[in-house]
Amino acid sequence: MHALRQHLLAAKGAPWVGGSLLVLLAVGALYLFTGAAASEPSRTPQPRADDISFGPADAPLSVIEYSDFQCPFCAEYAPILATLREKYGDRVKFVFRFYPLAGHPYATIAAKAAYAASLQGKFWEMHDLLFGNQKEWSESADPRPFFNAYAKSLGLDLDRFHADADAQSTTDFIARQAAEGKQGGVTHTPWFVVGDSVVLPRSLEEFDKVIQEAL
Amino acid sequence: MTRAASPRPRRWVPWLLTGAAYAGFVISLYLTFVHYRGYVSPCYVVHGCEAVQTSRYAVIMGVPLALVGTVFFALMFYLGIGLLTSSRLLVLRVYKVLAFAGALAIIPLFLLQAIVLKAFCTYCVATEAIMLVLWVVSFLLTAPGRSGLGRSRPTL
Repeated sequence: MHALRQHLLAAKGAPWVGGSLLVLLAVGALYLFTGAAASEPSRTPQPRADDISFGPADAPLSVIEYSDFQCPFCAEYAPILATLREKYGDRVKFVFRFYPLAGHPYATIAAKAAYAASLQGKFWEMHDLLFGNQKEWSESADPRPFFNAYAKSLGLDLDRFHADADAQSTTDFIARQAAEGKQGGVTHTPWFVVGDSVVLPRSLEEFDKVIQEAL
Repeated sequence: MTRAASPRPRRWVPWLLTGAAYAGFVISLYLTFVHYRGYVSPCYVVHGCEAVQTSRYAVIMGVPLALVGTVFFALMFYLGIGLLTSSRLLVLRVYKVLAFAGALAIIPLFLLQAIVLKAFCTYCVATEAIMLVLWVVSFLLTAPGRSGLGRSRPTL
């Protein structure tokens, strides 16, 4: 009877021990999961001649970014990417692809402004202005005056800027990149492909490490 | 005269409550880690999380709501284990009070997303749904000595 009592008392504590182990398991797993930069093979197209890019055309490594100008997290990554472009711009080809998300009402018009700027050789400058001032235009009732002001500050030909932004070819270019991204499994922005792998480094240090390892 | 059949004890109730609380704990803990590590998260095709996570309502008086949720669900998880292993009335009462408090908290959280932010975060909605489940299912818990707590504990 005593043995049975001991057995039952021990069994009573088992759920507490098991529960606590589950809690510790969750803490440990999430600590590792949230700290790791996951990597998986990419299914999106490799860099092409008509891509908007920075760095040598024949660079041994490419970093492709699918991005949305109204995405606040893409804006947070913008300075990280700027630092990396500065550091690896002579060895790595940085490609920007449009992926305007449906939930962001001004994402497509911002993409059109950036593409129109790219046709006058000022994509990265417009890119920096759009991300740097994202809060201002994305919370406005009409973002177009802001885009016009950015275009003016970059010295763009405004008539051409408007014509290019409104052109069907611009709409088609953005839609094609977004469709290819969707087909390639892009589920969020920013979406990074370093070489052949999809990665999501969470900091400048992690991103730097990923590029160094890939080079 | 026939004897009325006593209702079957609902053994699954405390198990469901404990499992649901664990799921809520894992989701809240994930958001807490993301918050404190200062990581940049992506914007998902299904819009909402970024708007909610970056809003000023995500932190109240310096404490992230994700951390409050983590503590709440951890408490509910251990209380759930208490329901599985004990028949104390106090455990049952504390559980019901906290489940009700959790259900009350859903109202401002949901309204903030629907009216102020006009965006829903999947993680937040999931934890709110779990809080609702904890409250609703807690009605199936009955006092010790009556059926429903899931088990009658033999006295040795």
